[in-house]
Amino acid sequence: MFGSKVKLDKELLDRAKRISLVAGYASVEEFIAHALEKEIQQFDGADSEEEIKKRLQGLGYIS
Amino acid sequence: MSHSHRSFSSLVVLWIIFSFAQLFLCCKCLAMEKVLVLGMDGLDPQLLEKFMDEGRLPHFKRLADQGGYTPLGTSIPPQSPVAWSNFITGGNPGTHGIFDFIHRNPANYLPEFSLAQAEPPGKSIRLLGYQFPLGGGGMKLMRDGEAFWTVLEREREDVSVTICRMPANFPPVEMRGNALSGMGTPDLLGGYGSFSYYTTDPPKDYETVSGGKVYVVYPLNNQVKGILHGPQNSFKVAEDRAPIPKTEVEFMVKMDPENPVALIEIQGQEILLEEGGWSDWVQIEFDQIPLLWWDSAHGMVRFYMKSIRPEFSLYVTPIQVDPARPDIPIATPKEYAPQITKAIGPFYTQGLAEDTKALSGEVFDDREFLIQAGIVYEELVRHFEYELSRFEKGLLFFYFGTSDQCAHMLWRAMDEKHPGHIPDLLEYSDALGEIYEDMDAMLAKALEIADDDTVIMIMSDHGFGPFYYGFHLNSWLADEGYLAVKNPYMRGKGEFLSNVDWGKTKAYALGLNSIYINLKGREGHGTVTSLQKEALVEEICEKLLAIQDPRNGEYVISKAYKTEEVYMGPNTIKAPEIIVGYKRGYRASWATSLGSIPEGWFEDNVEAWSADHCMAAEELPGVFLANRPIKLKDPALYDVTVTVLSLFGVKPTGQMIGRNIF
Repeated sequence: MFGSKVKLDKELLDRAKRISLVAGYASVEEFIAHALEKEIQQFDGADSEEEIKKRLQGLGYIS
Repeated sequence: MSHSHRSFSSLVVLWIIFSFAQLFLCCKCLAMEKVLVLGMDGLDPQLLEKFMDEGRLPHFKRLADQGGYTPLGTSIPPQSPVAWSNFITGGNPGTHGIFDFIHRNPANYLPEFSLAQAEPPGKSIRLLGYQFPLGGGGMKLMRDGEAFWTVLEREREDVSVTICRMPANFPPVEMRGNALSGMGTPDLLGGYGSFSYYTTDPPKDYETVSGGKVYVVYPLNNQVKGILHGPQNSFKVAEDRAPIPKTEVEFMVKMDPENPVALIEIQGQEILLEEGGWSDWVQIEFDQIPLLWWDSAHGMVRFYMKSIRPEFSLYVTPIQVDPARPDIPIATPKEYAPQITKAIGPFYTQGLAEDTKALSGEVFDDREFLIQAGIVYEELVRHFEYELSRFEKGLLFFYFGTSDQCAHMLWRAMDEKHPGHIPDLLEYSDALGEIYEDMDAMLAKALEIADDDTVIMIMSDHGFGPFYYGFHLNSWLADEGYLAVKNPYMRGKGEFLSNVDWGKTKAYALGLNSIYINLKGREGHGTVTSLQKEALVEEICEKLLAIQDPRNGEYVISKAYKTEEVYMGPNTIKAPEIIVGYKRGYRASWATSLGSIPEGWFEDNVEAWSADHCMAAEELPGVFLANRPIKLKDPALYDVTVTVLSLFGVKPTGQMIGRNIF
């Protein structure tokens, strides 16, 4: 679909393809969607995983 | 005198006698309305009975003989936030919606602290690199259901109520009386306690130490410079995609060139400490906008000068919300926290203040942990004495967490079978017994102020058992085909279920006892329809109960609770589908709680955190003692709620499922 197409620099796309394979993603699209989701969370004001972890780590029950 | 006249006179006399009798009974009734409930977290029936039999707990014994003692049914699962919420609401997790220490956001599967969450700030205006909020923000208590003291205050306007350090009550619910929040109250950084440690001799794996931050320092000319990192600067605008900057305060430590003494200089204050010494509470202000006083965050810390030479090591407590000028709502009314501070001095305000993480991270040794836990305990004692001194009638609830946090850490010292036990720890093998003696001393203080009409109750939320082995629940789910791993080569890496292929996953575990079905329409990438759910839950429960530890042949899980069967109430729909009830000795592994998927299913627990209660509810009841005969058989937490209300003549509400214990 026209609306879902995004232009990427070829070198960046190649790197994304390589990393998506190494990291075990089913496709480069899945990897890019995952990376975008993480970035969007920051702008949505959602906590980063690191912040969540830091806050929870004060609990003795988890490490 | 006519017959009718005599009858009338007799009626008047009867009426007068009846009125006097009513007045007498009413006075008697009012005189009895002095109810003291002591919450002692994690007080275990087996240990309590052992120490009572040994004659070490004379006041517990007296109470048990005078009134009664019984094990107390706990919550499913027996985790403190869940259990105390059962007591608060007189219901169960279906009522209050607290199922575990850790919940998850079903949209993105990320973990969340179950008890309280930050609310997003409202609009703000920007000026000179700063943003000025125009409202909104703050913390929200996630527990649902009406607290029993709200019901009591509504039904009996004449009863004064004080609720001190009740878990699952941050921010405290509005009330006419006084409340100070307890477990669930964050430190000033917004987390659940993060210490700072400045040292020339960092412990192993210090970069990944949990629950604190280790800073390597380099003394120069007998001086050490350090920075205390404060809360995020809520006024500062983050540039581009950079994280929001944090506030910070510099300090200097000047070491005496000859003697084991050092001077700490911070914000114009000087603190002289000998090696091994603890400072009093030191107030710190974290400025957010230079030259403006009203924007500062108010914290306080204590310094522990662990060693000066040959290695330098300085421990700083997590930054506490200053109770004299609290920036977040730790008390209601808000003047109550400064009022306590004025009476007893500053005190730890975060929930679960015993620094178990400093011991686990080898920043403290066991002796140092006991000293720090002792500081927390002494503050509780002072606060308790203050409340007792002004308690004339009404309801006073007071919570002690020492019995829980110390049991977690000291169990391995008395249990030679524990994988974390080492002979050096035998020195502390009786430390838990001494903690129980401290609890007995608290009961003695309560008995001192009690007259014949005062009702005293002691309750704990759950018992305790050894935590010998961790079980990798997500790994088991993966090996049984319920959870799909995205990259098998990365299986041991990553947290927060980041290596899960959600499109092929049927169930996953997060928290300490919870299994969720990856439900279509609820989870972000759900795969299981609601029609398929019941059979899947049944199948997983059957398999859970059959798991055996190949090393000793023992069954690992004694109960697999289907929440639809054991919970009732409007929040049941939000619950995990299965609560895993581990046998004594087993618990969810460290990796499971935050969603990791290591190889294998079992690991020895060699951590200082050596005992736990996140097991099957039937294995770990709490305790109940009172100076009144106990008539109800097998009482549970929610029965205590109804009992307290009954003592004030208040009927339970529709959400309450308990019965009167007396």
